[in-house]
Amino acid sequence: MSSPISPACARPEPALSRRDVMVAGAAGLALVTLPTPALAAAPPALAELIARITEGAVPERGRISFDIPQLVENGNSVDVAIQVESPMTEADHVRWIHVIAEKNPFPDVARFHLGPRSGRADIRATLRLATSQKVVAIAALSGGGYVIADIDIVVTLSACIDGG
Amino acid sequence: MASFNARITMPAEAKTGEIVEIRVLVRHPMDRGGQVDSEGRVVPRKILNRLTVTYAGEPVFRYDMHTGVSANPFVSFTTRAVETGELTFEWREDGGAIFTRTARLVVT
Repeated sequence: MSSPISPACARPEPALSRRDVMVAGAAGLALVTLPTPALAAAPPALAELIARITEGAVPERGRISFDIPQLVENGNSVDVAIQVESPMTEADHVRWIHVIAEKNPFPDVARFHLGPRSGRADIRATLRLATSQKVVAIAALSGGGYVIADIDIVVTLSACIDGG
Repeated sequence: MASFNARITMPAEAKTGEIVEIRVLVRHPMDRGGQVDSEGRVVPRKILNRLTVTYAGEPVFRYDMHTGVSANPFVSFTTRAVETGELTFEWREDGGAIFTRTARLVVT
């Protein structure tokens, strides 16, 4: 089917004015001075999404592996696999794993709730990606910490083209 | 939707303490809303928004799905075999419909 991109997926990219660039630059400087190494590299929108998920805590890198094809031919169904190194005991387990696709019309894609009875933190699923973007997996640990992994994905056929 | 087609793949039996993988594939369009159908009408959002799995009465897994989950959603997860019992899979669809399937795991 060759119908147009659906309205829900239309995300007009506003042209950046010089003023916006200046403000963004200033915000970027402010961000760099904050003690948030994991967030400093991310663009503000994504950092906000992450901060909302982790309630402001800074997620650590490592212990989590996020497998997703880097070149996706069809964004309508993308295989992802997420594993977190965890003993999955009552005292130390993964509470949930959350997937964010920042440029999807609805960036919160999925959340998997696990527990000590999972045995392993090992999830596979099929997701939709609207466009080429950074996709992030965040796992919440029972101890209160968070671990994060992200990956840049190129999508050739957007999930927003109807008929898929 | 009139029929609900779910395929649950898991071992029928396991040893105590063994970690079993459970794979669940459901036939569902996962209408994310906003598309225009062939007659020019806007399709409302209708997705399965949650899958809850209990094992011998205890919750073991939950999958919160949003519009970013593909049509015919697949998910695989693991659970530790602790006792012989039923795994109950319950899907909640937008609009309030509930679909339930069960599978039995024999633990030796």
